[in-house]
Amino acid sequence: MTESNRMLEQPAVRNGGTLKMMSRATYLREALLKNLFLVCAVVAVAAVSLIFIFTASRGWSVVRDPGLGAFLGGTEWSSTRGEYGILPLVNGTLVITIGALLLGAPLAIGTAVFLSEISSSKMRRIVRPAVEMLAGVPSVVYGFFGLVILRPIVAEMTGGMGFGPLTASVILAVMIVPTIATLTEDALGSVPPGIREASYAMGATTWQTIYKVLLPAAKIGIIDAIILGMGRAVGETMAVVMVAGNAPQFFKGFGAPIATVTSQIVIDMSYASGTHKTALFGLAIILFLISMGLVALVRALSRLNDRKA
Amino acid sequence: MIVTGSTTLLPISEVSGEMYGELHEGTSVLVSGMGSSAGIESVTKGSSDIGTSSRELKDAELDLGLTDTPVAYDAIAVIVNPDNPVDSLTTMQVRAIFAGVITNWSQVGGPDLEIGLVNRDEASGTREAFSKIIMDDAQFDRGAVVLPGTGQVRAVVAEVEGAVGYISLGFVTDEVKAVAIDGVAPSEASVVSGDYPVQRILHFFTKGEISDAAASYIEYVLSPEVQDVIVRDAGFIPITAKEALGD
Amino acid sequence: MSKRLANRIAVGALWLCGITTVAVLGAVIVYVFVRGIGQITPEFIFTKPHGVNAEGGIGPTIVATIYVTGLAMLIVTPIAVLAAVYLAEYAVQGRLVNAIRFAADTLASVPSIVLGLFGFAFFYEAMGLGFSVLSGALALSFLMLPIVMRATEEAIRAVPRFIRWGSYGLGASKWQTVSRIVLPAAAPRILTGLILAMGRAVGETAVVIFTMGEAIYTPISPLDPGRSMTVHLYVLAMEGINMDAAYGTALLLMVMILMFNLSARWLTARNRKVKES
Repeated sequence: MTESNRMLEQPAVRNGGTLKMMSRATYLREALLKNLFLVCAVVAVAAVSLIFIFTASRGWSVVRDPGLGAFLGGTEWSSTRGEYGILPLVNGTLVITIGALLLGAPLAIGTAVFLSEISSSKMRRIVRPAVEMLAGVPSVVYGFFGLVILRPIVAEMTGGMGFGPLTASVILAVMIVPTIATLTEDALGSVPPGIREASYAMGATTWQTIYKVLLPAAKIGIIDAIILGMGRAVGETMAVVMVAGNAPQFFKGFGAPIATVTSQIVIDMSYASGTHKTALFGLAIILFLISMGLVALVRALSRLNDRKA
Repeated sequence: MIVTGSTTLLPISEVSGEMYGELHEGTSVLVSGMGSSAGIESVTKGSSDIGTSSRELKDAELDLGLTDTPVAYDAIAVIVNPDNPVDSLTTMQVRAIFAGVITNWSQVGGPDLEIGLVNRDEASGTREAFSKIIMDDAQFDRGAVVLPGTGQVRAVVAEVEGAVGYISLGFVTDEVKAVAIDGVAPSEASVVSGDYPVQRILHFFTKGEISDAAASYIEYVLSPEVQDVIVRDAGFIPITAKEALGD
Repeated sequence: MSKRLANRIAVGALWLCGITTVAVLGAVIVYVFVRGIGQITPEFIFTKPHGVNAEGGIGPTIVATIYVTGLAMLIVTPIAVLAAVYLAEYAVQGRLVNAIRFAADTLASVPSIVLGLFGFAFFYEAMGLGFSVLSGALALSFLMLPIVMRATEEAIRAVPRFIRWGSYGLGASKWQTVSRIVLPAAAPRILTGLILAMGRAVGETAVVIFTMGEAIYTPISPLDPGRSMTVHLYVLAMEGINMDAAYGTALLLMVMILMFNLSARWLTARNRKVKES
């Protein structure tokens, strides 16, 4: 995501010389086309604005009903009682996301280091496509796998029924591995090879080189990767709905059911109306702001990194 | 023709719609399960020809000018794992269990085993009916696992020894055990006679003058072809069973 | 601990990471394959689900999935490619470009459930398109736009500069250079990006469930509703009915996505070979 930033801008060919040699018709056509392309590029900005404006217009009235305090600070989410407090859902999202990061980030960074520093090219030809394909597996398939395979195993371990933060975190951990691994590998790849060679030349072992030289050098890139992995975990929906147990209550244990911001939307959306529906759009606004905030954070970090380098 | 509403009624409306479409060239019945409330809202607004509902009209909905055609009985069974020795509960016990007051099977004459609550999502008509009939609108325990589908509830109860859930009687299989409520075992006879307490009637709602196609479809749904075959296959009890049993 | 031993343990752990990742993928694929393969018959692929337990095939869901993905592709490709042309060939670094990139990055990370709700509010309600393939395709195109834009931009940037200079030297205008030289040279990589974006769209659930609906229907017109394969799998799994069909659907989904993935890899590999020779 940061790569295009760092990439050198193509020196735009705006040489006045050729312009003069163009006929008026050609000049007009070129100008017209350029503007057409510009419009297309601006579609991305328009799309994001549209998403925000529309979700916000449907959800903003949560500030009146149930009221901003009751919405952001409420500890109960129950449509039958007309209470729409998001804290239990935020709590669920946090627990599951942190769990997924604790399990998934080391695995992903380990895999990336393995790919970039240790693996033979033969192994790389197996592991890298595997990472890419993990990214392609649909989230319902992960959810389904979690439901039929992982849940009974977790039920054995924790007692209870196996729906809850543990199952959800394990599934999400697998889902964020590709995001974090790919970006970490990019970050390691952009460490100049000279540094690596210097470390080895001084007698450092592979691990010392990785631990003391490469990881610190790629630090910001890896943090970016983790933040984006976190974004993925926060926003993931279908897989979570299928294994979390969907009880909008505060964390009660790894095997006790829990709900997240995203899973509650899916569970409620099919029948919500009135204030309830507004509250769901309110949840969507929050998710949108979180994901935009994370992207902004990553961009700010990269800029910092560029300046340092 | 568009039929929208209760997911409980999906098996009836979907399959009968499919067969109706085959019998009547050029008519297709589009069925979607969005929940009873959505069905009622949709037929009121006119965006559906028929709204299906597994609940009665709420007070606020009585004035909407909807015509009610009952199509089947649906009894809700409280199900437990077959290994669970408990096979009879009172309404009050069931309420206490689902409210989270009773948390161990030993409190209702069973083994010392923690109760695992399985609830349906709030969109579910089954939950709404269960809540009205059993819970008397007491609050469900918020720590219950919430599953958005009947089959999942059954699968989990079939697998977990201490689990308890509730599903339509029609979906009870050998994998789970349906307990007697207030001493009455759920069965067709006890439902039709009104002895089994946890039951409700499934409705088709229409508004005002309806199209010939819709009228003929409803007639088809009430015919023995649907009532005795599809309704039964779906595990419900035909609305016509009452007359057959001589009231 | 000697540094050798520490090194050995650490390297061993890193190997374990790599192997675990492959093993997880392997487990998912093998499991879905073993449980699903018995389901895959021509009847399963081509006929409609029927009956209380959704027995029979999943034909309409396959049609709906391909339809909505194809339509989304048609909508998104021209816009995304031309937008990338602007970013790679015309744009001068500045506020506007910054805003565009920020927007594209944000769009790429918006949770799909948010896109689903937005699609419902905008395409279903505000534009009155209802639950339809068109609503689904429009919402999916939001998801695909940043992916295709990025792939195209990178593809265009990878075209060596001297090729352009040759074209300009012959008196070609900018658009002539872009359309006849740069885009054809970048085409294989652009296509790879398109294929990967389609793979994403095929696997998407939350977006289509709120825009295309859940009705089992073989869509003919873009305004028809439909149920995608992912939604079908979700419904089967959550209803707990007909698990066999669920495994079959999961397998077919995986096969479709693997095919997208492999054809993208094949294109990349072939492209590399052509370049080397």
